[in-house]
Amino acid sequence: MFKRSSPFIYDVKNRMKICGLLCLIAPVAIALRLFYMQTFQHDKFTTKAERAIYNYLAEDRLRGKILDVNGNFLAQSVRTHSCGISKRYVKDRNKTISFLAKTLGIPKERILEKWRRNRNFFFVAKKIKPDVYMQIVPTLRTSLGQGLDLTPEYERIHPYGDTAIDLLGASNSKNFGLSGIEQMYNRELSQDISKKRAKRARRGEVIYDRNLKEHLSVGDVYLTIDLQAQFFAEEALKKSVEEYGAEHGIALVQEPSTGKILAAASYPVKDGQSLGFQFTYEPGSTFKTIAISSALDAGTVTVTDSIDMDGRKWEVARGFTIRDNQHDKDFLSIPEIMQLSSNIGAGKIAVELGAKNLFYYLKAFGFGTKTDINFNGEAKGNVPPYNKWTKVDLATKGYGYGISLTPIQLINAYSAIANGGTLMQPHLVDRIEYADGRVDKKSKPVKIRRVIKPETSKIMTKVLQSVVEAGSGKRAQIKGYTVAGKTGTAEKLSKEGGYGKRNHIVSFCGFVPASNPQFTILVVLDNPSKYTFGGTAAAPAFKQIAENLLTLKGIAPDQVDFIN
Amino acid sequence: MKIFAVLFLISVFAMGVVVMRMEINRSGREISKLQNQVEVQEARNQYVQLEIARLESPAHVSALAQEKLGMQFTKPHNVVVLKD
Repeated sequence: MFKRSSPFIYDVKNRMKICGLLCLIAPVAIALRLFYMQTFQHDKFTTKAERAIYNYLAEDRLRGKILDVNGNFLAQSVRTHSCGISKRYVKDRNKTISFLAKTLGIPKERILEKWRRNRNFFFVAKKIKPDVYMQIVPTLRTSLGQGLDLTPEYERIHPYGDTAIDLLGASNSKNFGLSGIEQMYNRELSQDISKKRAKRARRGEVIYDRNLKEHLSVGDVYLTIDLQAQFFAEEALKKSVEEYGAEHGIALVQEPSTGKILAAASYPVKDGQSLGFQFTYEPGSTFKTIAISSALDAGTVTVTDSIDMDGRKWEVARGFTIRDNQHDKDFLSIPEIMQLSSNIGAGKIAVELGAKNLFYYLKAFGFGTKTDINFNGEAKGNVPPYNKWTKVDLATKGYGYGISLTPIQLINAYSAIANGGTLMQPHLVDRIEYADGRVDKKSKPVKIRRVIKPETSKIMTKVLQSVVEAGSGKRAQIKGYTVAGKTGTAEKLSKEGGYGKRNHIVSFCGFVPASNPQFTILVVLDNPSKYTFGGTAAAPAFKQIAENLLTLKGIAPDQVDFIN
Repeated sequence: MKIFAVLFLISVFAMGVVVMRMEINRSGREISKLQNQVEVQEARNQYVQLEIARLESPAHVSALAQEKLGMQFTKPHNVVVLKD
């Protein structure tokens, strides 16, 4: 039988192999191309893919709220948007600009001017409210909205206007604290989510991914400030500053038993500049309370002692004489020295106490050191070392000259006298509540040290009460309540040197009710244009604040005559 | 036949994966859209709350009470405190 050798092509197996090889050409070519692209052109294509698939969400920084002690919002961030235009993607310039002008309420010419000025991208409007945002969003998917960009940003809102704004401070549109509490507690208030990478769809919409949801750790800061008390303090202070034409005014309210600051007002108001903590001044006669408390506590004088007035002209050292023109008495008791605000009396008591002892008490009361109230820019004042004091320095310190202090130091010292002699740590923050439920309590009363004995505190309270009942502080009297306090009128150092008669600071510091102090209040008016006194200008402001607070808190009258 | 069956199963599986991915993306888009709406509504709500706070502020209330109703702050001794 003849057997014909079949050609290679007629062999079925060979045909199958050829077909298989032909089929393999395309996948191999693709594989090679992929290998080339993924190896040699890796960076180029990764960038392209990154741009095509992912969208970088705007840098986002969440920010917590600042609230008063009762939970009233003092500062809150509201999500708004800014609207920008990328010129190169805009389809119809006129239509898009007309739409934006109408929706955003901006003149068309202003947008056109920005268009001409900028090469490609520019912002048309910032802080767009939600209602307007909702009108723009649907157009983003149409030709009208091509080239428009809506970026989220935050607006920090203060629902009570300027109330406590000097304390709160400011934050920028990126939710970063710039001054005041906003700056001091920036770490607790804010959370930097930074740039988030989100998958995006064809038209740039973000595709939800559970990884995008961040663990929130922002905190809400609750202050010890009471909105009502702050309002009362600001209102009374504004009235006094305007009435007496003062350059600045300060009003502080403290709870003497705990050290809590209930109100801290400055006028005129500036973001993050709370003069109660940052302003330093020579206090004048309000400081007599400190010097005399120290002497009573040290036992160098007793409340029944009478001080010789030296004919109301005391030559402390050669060339330096202190005069008392406000009375004609030859001897004054301690309460009378305070009632008549005798510089000779206070000076003599300070000299009797001695430099070392007075210095010890000043430091114990917290003067010359920061109170650590945790407010940016807190001043520490100045108490020079006692070994450099002359007799004149010592005598003048007795009535509040030659040292400088801050209002918070003074009110805290008065609170120590009011609460039985313990210096408390003043504080502004009550608690911080975090989004995850943690609560950081800050308001636990902290006793710094005992400064004077409880008996001294009682005697001094009686003395201060007599100042309001029969002395220079009569205008601080409140019907039905016992009030303890001291006036102060201090001349300021002038530019020419020495103390100028025209520039002065008037103040009043006291506590109420004297029998069971609930509020310590300090009012300071810096440089009133009209010549006035602490008892005339500051005491009425004290009275107004105290009356409102007593009414608000429902504190019962304590004056024996009134109750009976 | 076996190969065809395997290929068919692989194709079905691949289709399933594609459909699932598409569905995830579609739902993701929908969720994002809804989340955005929620955020806008929340922002709206915040503005309303802030307006309420402004209207309830001591400054606003006392100004209205004094100017429109002729009311005055009472003195503390007029307040009767009831003890528990």
